[in-house]
Parts: sequence; C-alpha cells; structure tokens
Amino acid sequence: MNKEKEPLVRFTGASLGYGRRAVVTGVDLSVHPGDFLGVLGPNGAGKSTLLKTMLGLIKPVKGRIQLHGSAFGAPRFGYVPQKEKLDVIYPLSVREVAAMGTYRRFELLRRLRGKSHDDLVRQCLKECGAWDLADRRYSDLSGGQRQRVLIARALAAEPELLVLDEPLAGIDVPTQKALLKLFKEFKERRGLTTMMVSHRLQAERDLFTHIAWVADGKADFGPAEKMLAARHITEIFGDDQ
Amino acid sequence: MSALLDMLRPDFLLHHALYGSVVVGFVCPLVGVYFVLRRLIFWGVALPQVSAAGIAFAFMLQGFGFALFAGGEAGEKHLAILGSVVFTVGAILALTWLDQRSQGLSEGRVGTLYALASAAAILFVAWNARGETEMLSLLKGEIVTISESDFHAMLNILLAVCAAMFLFQREFLLVSYDRDMAVTLGRSVLFWDGLLYLLIGVTISLGVMTVGPLVIFGLLVVPPMIALPWARGMKSLSAAASAAGGLSAFAGFYFSYRFDLPLGPLIIAALCGLFALSSLARLAVPHKGR
Repeated sequence: MNKEKEPLVRFTGASLGYGRRAVVTGVDLSVHPGDFLGVLGPNGAGKSTLLKTMLGLIKPVKGRIQLHGSAFGAPRFGYVPQKEKLDVIYPLSVREVAAMGTYRRFELLRRLRGKSHDDLVRQCLKECGAWDLADRRYSDLSGGQRQRVLIARALAAEPELLVLDEPLAGIDVPTQKALLKLFKEFKERRGLTTMMVSHRLQAERDLFTHIAWVADGKADFGPAEKMLAARHITEIFGDDQ
Repeated sequence: MSALLDMLRPDFLLHHALYGSVVVGFVCPLVGVYFVLRRLIFWGVALPQVSAAGIAFAFMLQGFGFALFAGGEAGEKHLAILGSVVFTVGAILALTWLDQRSQGLSEGRVGTLYALASAAAILFVAWNARGETEMLSLLKGEIVTISESDFHAMLNILLAVCAAMFLFQREFLLVSYDRDMAVTLGRSVLFWDGLLYLLIGVTISLGVMTVGPLVIFGLLVVPPMIALPWARGMKSLSAAASAAGGLSAFAGFYFSYRFDLPLGPLIIAALCGLFALSSLARLAVPHKGR
C-alpha cells in the first residue's frame, strides 16, 4: 500500500445514483496504487452503481470524485464487465475481442499501414491462459474461458486500475480457483491495482487489501483486516460468513 | 447466356443501372451488419420508408416552387437526397433518444414510425402539385433511368461510405459491442454513434433513390443474415455480407434483363435464394462449438 502516493480514485461525501435519485449516499473511499479493493454487498445494493460512477458511465448525484492517472486526467481503466452483458450474436474471434483493449488509441496512420498490436494481445492472452483459444469464436467458449478472454482484453488496455465486475459469478469452482490464482499473480507480480465487485465473501477475501461494503443505501469502507475483524464481519455480513 | 454476355459488354445500354445496382448491393450490407448485430432489424424496415417520405417531402416542396439548388432536374435530385438524409438521420436520432429515455416498447416505436412514414409519403405525393407518376416511379427506385452524372455522384459518395466503414470499423464495433468499455477507453460513444448513423442515413437515402425502399430493406438485413453463421470475425462478416449483396444484385439484374421482369423483386428473390442455400448448408455442416 502506497499511502504516500496520490490515490487513483477518491470519493468524498458522494451520493451515487441515476438522475436525481440517489441509490447509495455518503460514499467516502479511496483506491491507492497497489490496493486490491473488494466492493461487496447484497444484490441490488448499489455496487454496480459505484463501479459505473467510478468508470465515468454515470455522474454522481452529489459530492466529489477525483481521478488521478499517471498521465493527465483519469487513470487508465481495464474494465471486465459481467460476461452476460456482451451479446454473443457478434461473430468475433477471441483475438478480436482481446484486441479491443488496444482501441484506446486512434492511430489512423498505423491502421492505414495495416499495423496492429498483435504482440501485446498475444502476451495478454497468454498471461490469462487463453492463447490456445485465440482463433476460436468467442461465443463458442464456456463461461470460464470467456472470463479469461475478457480479463486479457482488460490487460491489453495496459491498465493502471483493473476493474472486475462479478468475475466469478456463474463459473464452476475449479475455474473460480484458477481465476483467483490469476488475480493473485497480478497483485503480487505486477502490483496491479484492482477493484473487484462481488456479492459474496468467500475465497477472494484473502486478496483484498480494502473492502467497501455497500448495503442499505450506505457504503462502509476500510482496510480489509479491520472490515474482516470478527466483530465487524458479523455486523455487516451476518453470522453465516 | 447471351443476356449475360450482353450485360458484361462495355457498351451495354443499361451499364450504369447495372453498376449502380451492384454497388448499392455491395455497400448496403456493410451498414446493414450493424442493424443485425445491434438487433435493430426493424429499423431496416422503417428507415427506408422514412427515407422515401423525405424524398416525397422534398419533391412536394419543389412542387410548391421551393428550389434550394440550381441546375433543373439535377438540383431537384440534390434536394431530394438532402430531404431523404435529413429525414433518415433525424429518425435514427429520434429513435435512439427515445430508446434511451423512454420505458415503452422499442419495436412499438419503430412500427409506429413505419406507419407514419408510409402515410406521410403517400400524402406528400398526393399534395405534390407536379403530379404523382414521376414521384411514384422515383419512390419505387428508378435505377434503369439513372444518368451518368447521377451514377458517378452516387459511386463517389458510396465509395466514401465504404472507406469510412473500413477505416473506423474498430470504433463502430467498439461502441456497438461494448459501450461501457468504449467510455472507459476514452472514446466518445456519441460521436462514433453519430458518424455511424450519418453513414447509414446517406447509404439508405442513396439506395432508396436507386432501387427503392423494399430492396434496400432486403439489402440491409438479408446479406448479414446469410453471412453471420459463417463469419469468423467482423472483417469476414462484412466481406461475406457485402459479396452476398453484390452477387444478389447482379443476379437480380440478370434475371430482370433476361426475362423482362421488375428488378427490385428479383434482387429480393436472389437474396432469399442465397439465404435459403446458406441456411441449408449450415444445417448440413456440423457446428464447431465448445
């Protein structure tokens, strides 16, 4: 944790929602370089609203959100949406889906010369264990394979902050374990700052450096050890965790 | 066979009509793939009708003495194209805005637009002080009478559309496939959607004036449906759909010339024949799933 550095993201007294209707109020949290933030809470509590606000997809109803990337403006996000959000009617190859991560840049001249970012895409697919799927059609893959491809796509964006929206939902247990191992590698080897939305707290709890618990219209934020302390965990997660 | 050889001769009397049909056949599917992939197939029905209403409106204005462009008949056609583009792009923007803001059924709005555009086109023609016959012929697509200058203008504009679809395919794909990702990558969804809609509007407008709204609907939707089961990427989808559209237009023209039958329905028949062949072949070829 690099608290001396400026946070990549800081929410100060923010109310989040749609239009003028706030779903979550009083959000105060920050994500520093190297952090692994778990955004947890029950379904429909406002976790996705928090994520969408941070990504700039919706505006906050109230309060301040500061984004500091290494370049001017917001950090580079590597966004992994819920895999069900992507329409499988598109006849895209795995390579094409992963290459979308490189579409940040316009590069018209490079495009006219027929050059692409094949090396970067290959490296990201390999890192996620999906290189052998490169020529398959994305829609033909299993849920776990799709998730690996979407993570590779996010890495191809060369992110400062990796944002994972329910990455383990609807995936079998062995694949969940493999993905958690992958996230651990990103954290330990790359020092990649990560934010992960989840509606549960199971195996992934060991990854989190910080936790934001979103429930009942409020967001409770703190270091993982404090949030997971026996008394606090019972308060916010109930007795079954 | 002799009809085919006639058509391929450089001095073929209807060569502009042939080339015009084939070019429209090649280009319409390039924008049509986005209708199919965005699941907006009913837009493909409604928008050519809106485009026809725009043409009828422009001609009605001219009937009342309004002339924006000089040059007689050519000026009239320019105004008709302008009317068509304005109506089509306006309708796309209105549908998009309503889809984002309203709770109701999207298909219901598209159906209402189709009914409104059809009724408006008939009324604009009826109010046209210069008679209905020429106007009705234009609304059906008057490819056979296309002049050399109109053909070259159409060719240049459609080539520009092709170039834009090729150059900006990444952006159009990104905002169509994953809008949230596009925003996180700092791309302007509004701008790229707007440019795509403009290209769609121009293609439909020129196409409707060339081969009529029915054929344009067919060319927007059926070729991507033919290509979709076989495609392994956006480039192969666009190329295969475009080839299917161009081939169907050529085949339709051949049968129209050979048997002296109306061109539009024969292009549609050729498209549907290819679609049937593609579907049968898909059933025969085992699908490589997971």
